[in-house]
Order: sequence, then C-alpha cells, then structure tokens
Amino acid sequence: MKERNSTAAISVKAPVIGLPRAMLYNRYEVLWKSFFSALGMKGIVSKPTNKAMIEAGSALAIDEACLSTKIYLGHIQSLIGKCDYILVPRISNFGLHRNMCTKFESLYDVVCNVFRDTDQKFVAYNVDALQKIDEEKAFVDLGTALGYDKKTSQKAYKRAKRNESEDWKKKVHEEEALYKSQGIKVLIVAHSYVLGDAYIGQPVIDYLKGMEVTPIRADVVDRKEALKQSAKVSKTLKWELSRELMGSIQMHRDKVDGLILLSAFPCGPDSMVNEMIIRKFTGLPILNIVLDNQDGTAGLETRLESFTDILKLKKGVL
Amino acid sequence: MDIGKKKVSFPMVANYNSVVRYFVECGLDAQFIMPPKMTRRTLEIGSRYSPDYVCAPFKSTLGSMIDALEAGADTLVMTMGLCRLGYYGELQEQIIRDLGYDFEMINLAEYTTGKNRDYLKALRRINPKMSLAKFTLAAAEGLKMVEYIDEIEAEYYRNCGFELNKGDYKKALDRFYLAMNMAKSKKDVEEGYREAKREFNRIPLDKPEQPLRVGIVGEYFTIMDPFSNLDLEQKLADMGVEVHRWMNITNRNLHYKGQKNLGVQIAEYCQYEMGPTSTANIWCAKNYAVNGFDGIIHVKSAGCTPEIDVMPILQNISADYKIPILYLTYDSQTSDTGLETRVEAFYDMISMRKKVV
Repeated sequence: MKERNSTAAISVKAPVIGLPRAMLYNRYEVLWKSFFSALGMKGIVSKPTNKAMIEAGSALAIDEACLSTKIYLGHIQSLIGKCDYILVPRISNFGLHRNMCTKFESLYDVVCNVFRDTDQKFVAYNVDALQKIDEEKAFVDLGTALGYDKKTSQKAYKRAKRNESEDWKKKVHEEEALYKSQGIKVLIVAHSYVLGDAYIGQPVIDYLKGMEVTPIRADVVDRKEALKQSAKVSKTLKWELSRELMGSIQMHRDKVDGLILLSAFPCGPDSMVNEMIIRKFTGLPILNIVLDNQDGTAGLETRLESFTDILKLKKGVL
Repeated sequence: MDIGKKKVSFPMVANYNSVVRYFVECGLDAQFIMPPKMTRRTLEIGSRYSPDYVCAPFKSTLGSMIDALEAGADTLVMTMGLCRLGYYGELQEQIIRDLGYDFEMINLAEYTTGKNRDYLKALRRINPKMSLAKFTLAAAEGLKMVEYIDEIEAEYYRNCGFELNKGDYKKALDRFYLAMNMAKSKKDVEEGYREAKREFNRIPLDKPEQPLRVGIVGEYFTIMDPFSNLDLEQKLADMGVEVHRWMNITNRNLHYKGQKNLGVQIAEYCQYEMGPTSTANIWCAKNYAVNGFDGIIHVKSAGCTPEIDVMPILQNISADYKIPILYLTYDSQTSDTGLETRVEAFYDMISMRKKVV
C-alpha cells in the first residue's frame, strides 16, 4: 500500500500502541483498532478486568475516585513497559450540551501524573469541539504526533470512521431485534464501560440470562435519535453519554418490562441522572444498583432475583 | 408597596447574596427575598430530598431554595455551571415540584446557548419591563461589590488572627457585610467599602515578621462558603495563621487570566484543562509552594470529580516542593469536631516544621 511506504521512510519499525480495555475502549474499540491498523501500527489490548487489576488500580487511585477510574488505572498498570505508547484520550465535548464527564477531560493528565515515575510514554488525542477541535482533527493530530504525515492520518481516520459506523449499525440492529423477543425484557441503563466490563457488568447480564430474562443494552442505540429524544425528557442534560441513555429509555419505555440502572460508585453524572430517570419515568419498575469494589455477589444476586420476581409477578408468569 | 413585583430568590452562596440582591432590586426592579442563613435544618432538608451520593453543594443549595420558598419567594433562580452544577437547576426544580411547592423557576442553564444575549431572555422573565441600560449599570456596580467583598475577605483572613483586641476584625467585617446588604446605590457600596478599609487599618496588630502562611485551594463552592467548610479559614486564623485563598469570583471569573496563561505556567504537571477550576487550583497550589508557604489545604465536597482528579497532581507538587498538603472532604456534616482535630494536627506539624527547618 502506498501510505505504508511513506511511513516506512519515517520509522523502520512501527511503534506498538497499548489500549487499556476500560473506560472509552468499550465505546471506541473499532475506531481505535481500525485507525492504528490503517496506519500500520500494532496494537495490544490489556486483558479483561480481573480482581488483581482492580486491586492494583485501587491502590494507585485516589480513594474517592469512581470505580471505573480505579479499573482504568489497573489496566494501564498492566500495560506499562509492554508497548511504546499507551493511548489515553482527552475528550471534553462534542459541542454545546454535548459534554463528557470531566473525568474524560482530566484522564490523560491524571494518568501521566500517577505514572510519572515510570518511563512509559502516553499519547492522547484531544477532542474539544467548543474549542474548534473535532474528532477528525484530533485523530490527525494524533497521527502526526506518532510520526505519520497529515494525509496518511486523515485517510486512516476516515477509514476507521467508516468501519466504526458500519459496525455500530450492525450492533444497533441486533439490539433492536431483542425488543421483539418473547418473555421478560429488561433495559439495562449503564455506561458502556460499566456494562461492558468483564468483572463488574458482565455478571449482571449473565445472571439475568440465567433467570430467563432478556437483558437489553440501553447504550446500544441510534445515538442521533437518542440525543434528540433526551432533550424532550430533560432539557439541560448535557452529558453526551447520559443523554444517549436517557433518550434510549424514552425510545423504548413501552417495549420493556422494567429498567435496571447500573452505576459505578460514585459516578458524578449518574448521581443526578438516575434520580431524574426515577422521577421522570414513573409507572415503570426501576431497580437502581450502585456497584463498588465488592467481593461477594450474593447481595447483587438477591436484588436482581427479587426484581425479576416482581416483573414476573406483574406479567403473571410466576 | 411591591405589588405585582416578582419575589426572587437565589440559594445562599458564601457572602455573595448581597450582590444578587443588588442585581435584582437595583437592576431589575423586582423584590429579592434573602434566603435565611443556612442552618442545620437547611442541610437536613436538603440532604433528605437529594440523591445519596450527589455532591454536597447540591444538598445545601436545595435546602436553601426550600428555605427561600418558605420565606416567601415565588421565583427561584439557579445558575449554569461547567460540572455537575450545570444540571443542579433542573433536578432541583423537579425535586421541589415533586414535593408540591408552586413557584416559577428561572434556570440559567436553559439559556446557555452559546450566545450571551440569550441570558437577557432570563432577565426579562424576572421583569418584562426591565431597562437594559439600568440593568447594565447595576450589574457593573454589583460586580464592583463582588470585588470589594473578595478584597475585604482576603484582607480579613490574612490579618484577623493577629489582632490585639479579640473581635475587632469580626466587628468591622460584619458591619461591611451589613452595608453591602443594605446598599441601594453605587455611593452606598463605595462608602461601605471605604469605611471597612478605614476600620481595618485602625485595628492594632501583633503580627510576627514571618507568620505561618497557609494557602487554601479547592472546589469552587465549598471553599468559598464558610457554612459548608465549617468556617475553616476562621479556624486557621484563630490559631494564628495567615490564611490565603486565591479562589473567589473576582479571581476565577471577573479577572481570570485564562486557561492558556495559567496553563503555560504549570505545563510540567498537566497538558490540558482538566475541569472547570482545575487549572486555577494547580497553578495556585504551585504558586503557594514556590512562594514558600508553610502548607496547603485542599478543600472539596465528597465526590467532586474535578477536584478528585486534581489530587494526584497536588501530591506531585507536594513531593516536588516538599510542602505539606492537607486534603479535606466535606459532606453534609454539621459537627466540626473531626475537622478541628485534623486542622490542629496539621497546624502543629507545620509550626514544628517551621521551627526545625
């Protein structure tokens, strides 16, 4: 390929990039992998979250930081020394009323400060649409920083974006099909990095499936439509990820038997948005679960079991 | 006398409510209902109706809004904000309406459209017949009042720990607050300020050449509001400490030097703006360290995400400059015994350190 040749002239060996399997990896997996592979870079991904990672991350994090931050730092720790760069994006907003939690504004600098005594290099890409830096510009800058020219980076981004949107369409299509399935259906309202996490989110999905309930992910949704719908429910809600979830509930409220709100303690946006959801969507059974770094799952199981019992009773199938 | 006028209120924030009153009464020709001073009950009510792990300012401002409604307000104003604060207004309105109160809500977050003149629409809701010229004038005078309050408070906490006659400073400060609260014109504001300055200058001091100096950094609301931080600055001053706090509306909003100008001075610690007040706090902490302060206290409400993220950097500043930092987290506590113990221990440590070093 032409672009490969041009980069080969700059560096003989393409750098290896480390992707922590936490936080926004759950949202941008396809975009990131496609982008780096289009550049001809090799990527390594940390292992799915396990107990040791959470423990390592908790030791590194400020006590009061959210569980997701602790998990993230654990993943970074596991990648130290295994790659040339670790990708830590800095995403502030995608425009007016489309903010990210301030966590994603600060994550890059937090990571650099926590790991400043190691030799590990970190790279960021910075999305800040209100400062006129959109995602494309951010990725072109990232490519340039890694030693590729502007044109190559742009091409790689465009290709990655295409892959991402095709993949997303497919995922949304599959998820939408679940709403038509038989039996009890529960909409799980959680950030992708909570629900997609092997250690904290997956057990909830597995348990529900074992109870013969169909769990449906609220975050896998037509994002544009969800943003539009969320403004109808809550006018000043400004966090992009929360708006997608809020919009998704509004779009599907009549197609499910209940909601499970799943948050990582003490998630800033969720502390308020969940309260709003509970107050706005009255009449729909809602279970509000806050996850922290617990060892046992018995408490979680009891709550899930009694909630599904209620749903079954309501439907007359128990 | 005020028939037909809206009775507007705004939750208690530090000592700035005199300014809001000035905007509303002198600029918008509406009536301002001063929310009652926050009490234990304010916090109890606020916490009872708030979600569990929301940040503490949400709880106290919610309580203060309910206080204001009970005191006769019929219109509540809430501000916009860059963190969770930006969503306060809508959720608080929902909670108070669910409780059954009837009121008008003017949530500035709803008017945040990227164009400043849309905020005018919010003002017109308070008084449709408002005069823009009159409001602009009153706004300028009100902002001057903010600068005076900040200047007077800064001087107060730097010196009140060293007064010869206990209580001199407090008396002068209270008189100043009262004057700002009663001010109806630019002349009143100026006179109140000058009088306070004169009084401060007359107070005899017994201040060592090199007193213990502590700089306070932290979260915008809790750091400025003495009720929320359990009068931290006063506690330190009473121990004989010169207390510095850069964070106030004058420095952070009215005369902010900007992300770029501050960011460039802390480039070794962070590359990006990490949150609404993060750059300012990191810059400020580094500044205190460079200038040889004896200690820094970091103040925040429980769960404040931007401030939690500033902490790893403060830890590095502390290590690099060998300056002790005390980290304080506030939730809706009403007892200050625990705080006192920690602040006293911190004081003992930095004062011993000063003698040894």
